[in-house]
Amino acid sequence: MTRDEIFEKVQQTLVDALGVDDDEVTPEATLSGDLGAESIDYLDIVFRLEKNFGIKIPRGELFPENLSTGDGGFVKDGVVTPEGVAELKKRMPHADVDSFAADPKVENIQELFTVNMIVKFLEKKLS
Amino acid sequence: MRFDGRVALVTGGSRGIGRAIVESLAAEGAKVAFVYASNASAAEELVKSIESSGGTVLGIQADVRKKADADRAVDQVVETFGKIDILVNNAGIVRDTLVATMPEEKWRDVIETNLNSVYNFCHAVMRPMMSARYGRIVNMSSVAARMSNQGQAAYAASKGGIESFTKCLAVEVAKRGITVNAVAPGFIVTDMTEAVRSAAEDKILKEIPTKRLGQTSDIANAVLFLADEKTSYITGDVITVDGGLTLGGL
Repeated sequence: MTRDEIFEKVQQTLVDALGVDDDEVTPEATLSGDLGAESIDYLDIVFRLEKNFGIKIPRGELFPENLSTGDGGFVKDGVVTPEGVAELKKRMPHADVDSFAADPKVENIQELFTVNMIVKFLEKKLS
Repeated sequence: MRFDGRVALVTGGSRGIGRAIVESLAAEGAKVAFVYASNASAAEELVKSIESSGGTVLGIQADVRKKADADRAVDQVVETFGKIDILVNNAGIVRDTLVATMPEEKWRDVIETNLNSVYNFCHAVMRPMMSARYGRIVNMSSVAARMSNQGQAAYAASKGGIESFTKCLAVEVAKRGITVNAVAPGFIVTDMTEAVRSAAEDKILKEIPTKRLGQTSDIANAVLFLADEKTSYITGDVITVDGGLTLGGL
């Protein structure tokens, strides 16, 4: 499956899961900020991706949980520490953590969850 | 009929209130699966009775306390009937004992059977219901959740937990076309209340404004109302079906 084909399928999945228009689902769109996804939506997106791509996505693999609430010293004064950034890179190799690291405020973590991140994750998963 | 094309799963479905719910849903056209713990003969008898009336029914033996059993039961319903529209978490037990003399096993048994089972089955139906963007979940509470009956700490705690769980889950899945509500029965004529009734029926009747004990059909009616497709704007609510018992009138 080519990257374009994966994107089109992800786009349709997000249109169905979030009730958004397909032209809103651009590669750069963030799931929460741009597409209005709430926490339960992330679960629904995983269910639909599994069905549409015929794969299994173990819990936490695509959307890691408790990224900012762990007790691993990854967050200090509302900012993700260098150790936390390293952990993010480890847990989310499909995300653009380098861009996030430029301004690593906890509230910016949501911006890691983009349409492109899902496409990259699936590219690797399907290869 | 009202539930034509709908698929329902009822836990604790072979006897008492659960049986009345299974029969009512089947009579209204739903394909109904029910979970029973151990009474195979009661389950078989119920299956025969519904099938002889032209209904579609499936009995599933499962231990509602076990997550794996709940997952298996829901999978079986989806494999057999293609989907699941309605879940009624009705399975429940009473083990009334004063806290001071309550062995740990009794506490755990009540919480696991009454409360944990609700999590087990609700969690199991999330995937099919969320994918379908449709679901009706009805959890069985009890007026005991709001009364302070001696000896009922475990039962009341389990039912109070169910009501809180119901409200939280309702908010979580509201956007997905899934409603989650509870029914809180008062004194209903079943095997479960037989001991209390035989000891204090007259006293109980004095407390009930309608001057009668409830029948299982009274509860089934409320459950079917909440399970109806048309009841789409009620969620996170608890309908009390107790003949006015908890109104506190004189």
